Formats: sequence, structure tokens, C-alpha cells
Amino acid sequence: MKGTIFDIKEFSIHDGPGGRTTVFLKGCPLRCKWCHNPEGLIKNPQIMKKHNLCVGCKICEKGCNHPECEPFGVCIHSCPNGCLTVSGEEIDSKLLAEKLNRDKAMFEFTKGGITISGGEPMMQSDFVCDLLDKLDGIHTAIQTSGYTDEETYKRVISKFDYVMQDIKLADENEHIKYTGVSNRKIINNIEWLKKSGKEFVFRVPMIPGITDTEENIKAISEITNGHKTEYLQYNAMAGSKYKMLGMKYKL
Amino acid sequence: MDKNLYEYILNKDHHKYRKEIEITFYQDMTPIERMTYRFEEMCKSEAPVILENEQICFLRTTSNIPDIFTEEEWANIKSKYHIHELGYLSNLSPNFEDTIKEGLLAKYETADEYGKRCIDAILNLSDRYKEEAKKQGRDDIASVLERVPRYGATNFREALQFFRIIHFSLWLEGNYHNTCGRFDKYMYPYLKADMDKGIYTEETALELLEDFFLSFNKDSDLYVGVQQGDNGQSMVLGGMDENGNEVFNLLSKLCLKASENLLMIDPKINLRVNKNTPLEVYELGTRLTKAGLGFPQYSNDDVVVDGLLKLGYDLEDARNYAIAACWEFIIPKVGADVANIGALSFPKVVDKCLHNDLVNCDTFEEFIDCVKKEINIEADIICSSIKDLWFVPSPFMNVMMDCNIYEGGKYNNFGIHGTGIATGADSLAAIEKYVYNDKTISKRDLIEAVDSDFEKHSEILPLLRYEAPKMGNDDDGADEKAVMLLKAFSDSLKGRTNCRGGIFRAGTGSAMYYLWHADEIGASPDGRRKGEAFGTNFSASLFAKIKGPFSVIKSFTKPDFSGAINGGPLTLEFASSMFEDDDSINKVATLVKAYVDMGGHQLQLNAVNTELMKDAQAHPENHRQLVVRIWGWSAYFVELDKEYQDHVMMRQQYQV
Repeated sequence: MKGTIFDIKEFSIHDGPGGRTTVFLKGCPLRCKWCHNPEGLIKNPQIMKKHNLCVGCKICEKGCNHPECEPFGVCIHSCPNGCLTVSGEEIDSKLLAEKLNRDKAMFEFTKGGITISGGEPMMQSDFVCDLLDKLDGIHTAIQTSGYTDEETYKRVISKFDYVMQDIKLADENEHIKYTGVSNRKIINNIEWLKKSGKEFVFRVPMIPGITDTEENIKAISEITNGHKTEYLQYNAMAGSKYKMLGMKYKL
Repeated sequence: MDKNLYEYILNKDHHKYRKEIEITFYQDMTPIERMTYRFEEMCKSEAPVILENEQICFLRTTSNIPDIFTEEEWANIKSKYHIHELGYLSNLSPNFEDTIKEGLLAKYETADEYGKRCIDAILNLSDRYKEEAKKQGRDDIASVLERVPRYGATNFREALQFFRIIHFSLWLEGNYHNTCGRFDKYMYPYLKADMDKGIYTEETALELLEDFFLSFNKDSDLYVGVQQGDNGQSMVLGGMDENGNEVFNLLSKLCLKASENLLMIDPKINLRVNKNTPLEVYELGTRLTKAGLGFPQYSNDDVVVDGLLKLGYDLEDARNYAIAACWEFIIPKVGADVANIGALSFPKVVDKCLHNDLVNCDTFEEFIDCVKKEINIEADIICSSIKDLWFVPSPFMNVMMDCNIYEGGKYNNFGIHGTGIATGADSLAAIEKYVYNDKTISKRDLIEAVDSDFEKHSEILPLLRYEAPKMGNDDDGADEKAVMLLKAFSDSLKGRTNCRGGIFRAGTGSAMYYLWHADEIGASPDGRRKGEAFGTNFSASLFAKIKGPFSVIKSFTKPDFSGAINGGPLTLEFASSMFEDDDSINKVATLVKAYVDMGGHQLQLNAVNTELMKDAQAHPENHRQLVVRIWGWSAYFVELDKEYQDHVMMRQQYQV
């Protein structure tokens, strides 16, 4: 089965227990204004350009015969300075599982495993489940917004050893305002997660003036109800990828 | 440690005591007479200075060491002999252990007449220090000097002061890259005895140790190598002893801590580890890495000892290995290896074959055979160029070794570095893939492209540079070429005897050749442009798109190091943000342990901050204490030439 990913990061140390390889799935139903992985928002491949390395030689605009370059209007193989990369690769679950399984020993040494992140992994739930079935006894973790229907949520979560469940904003209207979607499905899924017996942690992004308000933190604590919660400091470099994608950062 | 003393040294206030010295040598004096005479004169002209609140004294007050030979005399010597670097003994691991235990008077018994004169000169200088201490009312120092260096040390402080005097004297003699050997192994008994008596707590012992560590930084600006900081004051901690038992002890731990607290570039810490080393030791090491000093450097006993055994070292000696100035494995007390006598450039070998052989090779296998032959030819050239090796006689160093250093030691092997392995391997991988397998680049086009620095056939540059297989990505297409290159290199040295009766050892270090050798060739088939440097030591090419630390470790543990054990670490740069809390430190420690458990031989892990380095280039005055690791030593960033600064910033760096 095919899925779309935008990155594989080795030895990520903030994405679950031990040393992990994080697979980032492309596509997300949320539009959080603070998102620091904007290349994870839409599912289609996108070109990313390192403007600081570009010398304006325009070699990439000369035209080529590569079918893979067609959607972008530039030749992605041509830049002598390595400015151009494509974010978004369609990959077969079997091939991806083989790649990840190759590092099994490293996961054992570092007491880690594989983390599925995004984007929103739930958007490619069949692919995620298929991938996990093909992993060779490796510890698995997921980072999710929880924004999906109950059936999908249960089906995906039950595959994982460890869950990192986001809670961004407790108030529904605020949630709609800053992420573009209601949090009803999310809260519903969280209620199930709390009773599921899964090992999990809540994660709250601390966005100044938006999620880190006293009111929101208090409301969130009513949902988390004393369960282990990590508060993630806002990444000041979060906006840096927007320019590479030709997008504007909204914070 | 005393804060004022620390600031005083940091501000270089003690430099005011320094003065130039002139010494006249008579033509009829033999080299050893001149060296002995110079040492006596140097000791005499040293003025005892005891800094306020310092516990470990001896400060260099002569800023120069007059050469014993005129330029013409040097020219004459060089016409007859092979002179290694500066001509003085370097990279030896002297017998601190027995000397500190027995005292210099005991050494007097076995020393030759020149050695005796050196001992006399040192005793005279230390007596003058003792008088100065008394004059200043520093009875603590006077009483230490009452005992050492004349007699053996009876406690930890005496032992540290004794070490300082020996080390100071070795530098004063003109030897360089004076290493410290297995410090925690021979010093711990003194600390333990004192702690058993209740003289020190861990805290007060640490304080004294910091004072002692500071002493390495008082004169180190006078010990210039290729760049400031390249001074070889390397200290070895941990590992197994001669009987295979673990050495790591409380003193090892305190040394790591002292270094972390001091934030100075000396002594440079090497941590020996093996499959029995617990994770806690790696965590302590990682805490020091976090400090950003570019050490500890890790060496894996399991691989190193095995390799040394295969090269013919005795088991006890192999287990007792120490580290030379950078990363070369040397044997304390009895080893007289010259661990950095030459270097072979892998990219140069590939470049020669590209031009001389590629068009004639119908298969890649034929081409590889040419590469192997060329490595042999290079080895011939390097090895045959080193004959009639001669060192300036060093009578005090001779006292400090358990062998007659003039005749050679128990081991007299020559180490040859291997430079640019990733550039070489990646070039071969590109040739295999595009010229032979895919046939998308013709032999002639590739040669034209390389010769024109990719002005011609420029369209293949991005392909070679960013899409071809690269060593460091756990891609056998490239990694197997590195395995082959290293094996061919070690095979090419097998069976050769050097001019001192020893053998040649192949290594994975680069020293400064990552710049020098890169300038010897133009562009290379891996897409490296003319003028671009190689990776330092045993590491990926600078511009390769590398997947991450797991892949790098897997790639760089594939070669067989048993025939290539001269030293030279895999070098990894982690962003300093990778070390922010205990959990991160634990994870990085497991990664280091993973490297060792997977059979890596040596690892240099650095915490780097590119933003700070950029700012330091613009505003050096604000960053005088920013430290970076260069190739086997750490330096203050602002004291380096720009090409060395730039290289550090260009290395592969792994982020959170």
C-alpha cells in the first residue's frame, strides 16, 4: 500500500522513549497557525527552495524531460548548490518497513523505536496500519492531533505501543479559530484513550498568548485529569520553513 | 578552584612574567651536549613564580626555546637524515607512574650522565621554587616541594605537583605533544589513600583537581602545533588495565567533572570504553560533551586491543594503550612508535586511477584492481621516503621512558594516516553506478567534468553531488568501497619493515591533511568541487546529504579495523540543543554506547552551535572562550585561521 511521507528523521530524541526514527506523514486536516511543519499540511508533493543558497543562475528553469519534475515547473535535479528538494514522497509500506527494520539493532541499543508523526497520521490510517503490521518487533509510537472519527482512531491507536496525544485548546471556538477545526472529535477520542489502557502522554504546545493562557491550561488540566502531560515550548524557528515553500507564516 | 586565579589565567595576566632567553652553543658540542646544556640554562633562567591561591605551581617564564642548531646545521642534518616534523621527540607516553612513585633521585641511579644533569637542573629549580614559597609564607607549597620531585609522592597533592614538574620539564626540554597517559590509573591510589584518611571529600578533591587542570592552560599558548590548541596534552581515562579489569574510578569521574567546570581546552580528555562499560560512564562523558569542549573522545578497547594484538603488540601492552596527541594509539613507557609519520590520500589514489586507468578498464572490478595497485604504489612511495630517521636527543625524555629512546623502544612502528576516505569511497561508488552500471556518464565525460571542475558537463554535478550513493547513509554502494579502501590500505603496509625495525600501521585519521591533501587534487567524481576540503578524520563528505546518526554509525562501523588501528575517529557534530536535559543526555549516551557495541573503534562527538560560531567570526572579542574540536584537539575558535573555522561550520550537523 502506498502512502505519502515528507521526512524520515533518525535519532529524534523528543518523539517518545529512547532514540527514535520519526516518519512524517504528509497531509493534515488542521491548520494550526503556529504549525512548524508546514510541508506536512497538504498531501501533494511540494518543492522546497533554500533561498539563501540560490545564486540566481536559473539553471533549474531551463527545462528538462524528467516526468517527476513536471508538476513543479523547474528541474529538481539541476541545482548545483542543492537548493531544491521535493517534500513529499509516495512510498510503498513494504519498502518503508524494510528501511525501518534495517535499524532494528539501533532501536534496541538506544531503547527506542519508530514514531509516526506528521502532518496527521490518521489521514493515512490504512497506510499506517499496514506499515505497522510489517514492522519487525520494533517499539512504536504515534503523535496525533486525534482529529478523526472514533472507528479510525481506535483502529490506529490499538496498533501502537505508545501514544503522544496533542491537546491544543480546550475551548471549541478558540480551537476553530486557531486550528480551523472543532475539537469535539478530538475530545471524544481522548475520552476513549483515557480508558483504553494504552500507555500515553498528553502534549500541549505552549503558544504564547494562544494556548499558554491560564484559562486554557486550566481547562486542559480538567481534560487531562492528572495524567502525564508534556508542555512543549514554542519553537522560535517555527516559521523558517514557510519561505522555502513560498508560504506565509501567520504568527 | 579559586575564581580569581581562574580569571587571572584566563586574562593571561601571568604572561607579564615571561621573558626571552638567549643561549650560545659552541660548535664542538655534540647534539646531546647542546640539549643538556640548553635544558640546564632554561631551568636556570626560569624565575620561580607562585600565583596567589594556586595550589599547583610551576609557571613558564621563558617564552622561547633557542634552537640548538643553526639553519646551516639543520640543512646539513636534513640532507643526511629523515627529520619528522620539528625533529624533537613527540607523541610519547612517558612513565609518570613510577617516577611519581619513586622520585627523581631514584631515576638518578639508572640515568646516563646527561639524564643526571637534567635531574640536577630540575631539582635545583624546584628548590628555588621551595625557597620562593617559604618567602611568600606558602608553607603548604614548600612542604610539598620538600618531598617532590626529589622523592616519591606520599599523597595526592604531592603526586599532582610532581606530575606538573615533570610535564613542565618535558616541554622545557623542547619535546612536544607531551601526553599524560592513563592518568586515573596511576594517580588514583594517591587520592584513594588520602580519602581513606579523611583528607579529602569528593568536593575538595575536585577543587584541587581543577587547580591542577588549570596548570595545563598556563603555558599552553607557547606549545603551538599546526594551529593554536594543537598541543597534544591528551589524558586517558577509564578502560581496562593490563589484566583486563576495569580502571574507571572516582578520579576518572572527578576528571570529567573538573574539565566540565573549567571549560578550558586542556587537558584533552580521552575516555576508554568497552563492552563492559556501564551506561553511567557514557552519561558522564556526554555531560562533558555538552560543555562543548570537543571531548571526551571515545576509544573502544575491544577493537583497539584486538587490533594491536594482531599488529604484534604484547597483550599487557595492548591493554595498556594510551592516546597520543590526537587519536593515535601508543604504548606507555616502552612504546617509541612514530604514530603520525605520513599520510595516504584516498582521493588522490582514485584521481590517479581515474586519469591513468579508467579508459582501459572494461569492468568496475578491473578498475578496483587498479585502485588497489595504486594504493600499493603510494604505500611504496610513502614508506620508502622514510629512512634514516633521526631525532634530536632528549636526555630528560630518555629518563622518563623505560627504554633507551635513542635506540628505539619496545615498539618502533610508524603510523600512516588515511585521508578522505568518504571522498574516495563516494567517488568510486559514483564511477561504479554511473559509468559501469547505469552507463549514463561516459568515461571521457566524467574525466572532462572533473578536469574542468564541472565547467564542462555541468549537468552531472548535482547528480554526483546530491543524488549519488554516499558513505554515511548505510548504503553498501558507497560503504563497501570504504571497506575495500581501508583493507587495501592496511594490506599495502603489511610485511613492510621500517628503518627502525618496526612495522607500518594504517590509520583512519586525517590530521590537517583534510585540507592539505584536498588541495593536491582538483575536483573529484563524487561531485566535490576543486578547493573543497575533505571530511575530517573518519567522517562523511561535507556536502553529502546524510540521513542521520543511525545510518552514519552503521556505515562507519562496517570496515574491519583490525588491520587499520593507528587511530582516527568517526567525527559527529551534534547541535548543542541535543543535550538540553537529563533525558537527552541519557539518549545521546545510549547512541555512543551503540557505536561501541557495534564495533566502532573511535568516536569524536561534538556539541556545536553554528550561530555562535558565525557570531564569533564577526565579533571575536565576545567569544574568546568558544571552543571547537578541530581534528584531534580542541581550540579556541577565535584563535584559529579562517579555513579551519569554516571547516567546522561546514561539517554534517545533526539537530533535535
